[in-house]
Amino acid sequence: MDAYLRDLLVKKWNIGKFSFSFLDALLAVCITGTGVMLRLSVIGYTATDWDKISAMILEFLLAVWGGMIVYFYTGARLRAFLTYAVLVIYPSIIANSALWNRGSVFYAWFFLLSLYLLVKGAGVRAGLSAAAGAVIALSRMRVSTQNLTLGWPNLYEIVGKSMFVDLYNRVSLLVLAGLLLTGIYLYIKKKVKLTGTLALQLFVFLSILIPYLAPSMPAWAGYTADIGLLLYAMYRPGKFYLPMLHLIVSYSAYANVINGTSKLPMSLYAVILLAVLTDVGRDAYREAMGQS
Amino acid sequence: MSKILKKYQMDRADLLYLIAMTLIGIAIRGILRVVTTVDWEMYWDPWISDLKEMGFSYLATDRYDYAPSFVYILWVISKLPVNPMTAYKGLHIVLDFAGAAAMGGIVMEATGSRCKSFCTYGLMLIVPTVWANSALWAQCDIIFMLFIMLCFYELFREKPGRAMFFYGLAFAFKLQSLFIFPFLVILWVNKKIRLQHFLWIPGLYFLSIIPAWIAGRPLMELINIYMAQGAQDVWSLSIKWPNIYQIIGNEYFLLEYAEAGTWLILGILMCIMFAMAQKRYRITKEFIVQMALFFAILTPYFLPHMHERYGCLADILAVIYAMMNVKRFYIPLLHILLSFNSYMAYLSHLGWNEPSIYYGVWALMELGLLVVVGLDLWQYMMDPENRISRTEGEAA
Repeated sequence: MDAYLRDLLVKKWNIGKFSFSFLDALLAVCITGTGVMLRLSVIGYTATDWDKISAMILEFLLAVWGGMIVYFYTGARLRAFLTYAVLVIYPSIIANSALWNRGSVFYAWFFLLSLYLLVKGAGVRAGLSAAAGAVIALSRMRVSTQNLTLGWPNLYEIVGKSMFVDLYNRVSLLVLAGLLLTGIYLYIKKKVKLTGTLALQLFVFLSILIPYLAPSMPAWAGYTADIGLLLYAMYRPGKFYLPMLHLIVSYSAYANVINGTSKLPMSLYAVILLAVLTDVGRDAYREAMGQS
Repeated sequence: MSKILKKYQMDRADLLYLIAMTLIGIAIRGILRVVTTVDWEMYWDPWISDLKEMGFSYLATDRYDYAPSFVYILWVISKLPVNPMTAYKGLHIVLDFAGAAAMGGIVMEATGSRCKSFCTYGLMLIVPTVWANSALWAQCDIIFMLFIMLCFYELFREKPGRAMFFYGLAFAFKLQSLFIFPFLVILWVNKKIRLQHFLWIPGLYFLSIIPAWIAGRPLMELINIYMAQGAQDVWSLSIKWPNIYQIIGNEYFLLEYAEAGTWLILGILMCIMFAMAQKRYRITKEFIVQMALFFAILTPYFLPHMHERYGCLADILAVIYAMMNVKRFYIPLLHILLSFNSYMAYLSHLGWNEPSIYYGVWALMELGLLVVVGLDLWQYMMDPENRISRTEGEAA
């Protein structure tokens, strides 16, 4: 019986081109169940409507999608399964939908799709997908006239968030545009080849940079970067600390807004984010310059 | 169009980038030009009003404690038929663009890369401490910074006479230009500058005070105007600049430490110059920027009564350094963040309150940057390849 069960654990099944073991299936079922239970345990904090329910369902699909992207990048089934499993129980993702009903998954889905399409060489469709994601994301945000940040620990937590709000709301976007333009200019001039690795690094870099400088960023502005960094760490396990740090920042930002207080100063989280941004930016630069 | 592009060895991407960044630079400054700061209300505006009322005879009074060269600019502004703040900020904004172009030129000379040069121009226009200084705060540091940049540009073109002329102009506008003075001494030791070139500094300063002297202000007062300026704002050992006093305490021993701190930095600079003058070095452009950046961080780190804006010179030198040595990209990133944080501490009217990250933490970070640049300098000097014998130096 023992031997039978041991064999069963690693026995492979094939459905079409897709092969999986009993252990894979067991993990998938159990972790999915855990993900459901995690969501149910906090679902009562805000009213449950169709928006919340569809967001929660979409999160499971997002986890599958994340697993597929990691498989595409690494060819490693184990990492792909683990990506699915981790995303299903990722605290900031659960808090975003089940607890707080923010529905960030609706735009993050399009951003991930754009990454996938970009790597596949479908540049125009990738651009359209990113634009769709941006439109949804922007439609869920509001411009603050009181503070430069609405909960995301970005640059304004360091330099001050309550002065020149009206002016910096516009100036910061121009500075951001200038930085992005400089990046595009360098990309063109240096004739950089967009590899899969670089695409992922740029995806993560931009998902951290934009909320770091843009004004009126809500506490859930790190949602896309949370997912992107996890995929990056699955691709480059040496970077395991990046999603860990970002998740701590991200969840603390949620806690700060929901609880109205934070155990550590938000400026500390802003410094951590700057370090994460610099780390990813350096990786992307090295990859672009062929030094990695 | 293609002829122009060919003439300047540019392509369409270069041109589009430069145009777009210029427009972004203008838009940023256009948004910020409306802000009226305390400095404007307390100093420039009353000074310009007095100049309007009294004309040139205002220069005979002791109501201003800035270099007369700057007051001449205010006098010109007082004559213009436009809103004084618009004229004042407009002038400094134009100088921002001239400074960005000068930075592009320096990086072109230093690296030979047009791409880096254009990027430097673009990035300079969006560096927060640059636009905040002129367009937001209505400060005038861009004037002396522009002359310092032109000094570097001419040094890189191996035109030391012109370089020192621009340095002399910088000194005629701001005392802070002296922060990096020791690096010029090292260049003199290494025969890159001649002693007579240094005469531009007192010479141009003296020329700059003559109109005010003719107007009636006593000569000794004009010569000592920087000394008098240093005697203002002595209520704290550090006026929001994250230096050593933000670590050891900036509110105690105000008189004692003010004097001791000045002697201490003089002692430190003497020791460093003594050590650096012992040998002859290969003077590369990177070494020049390393030295200048080191002194631009070191001097305000120990000098008492340093203001929030006094890192602006190190900000731009750090950008040049990073363009020459990409591995040091984090130096301008951190220095500009630190500097902008100090700007915002003033502009947010924090007063005695600490910013969200304490000044002491920023001061430790500044010390870290000083150590990094210092070690780079040390390694350069210790590299046998960078050392030359005195006879070689003389031959060179």
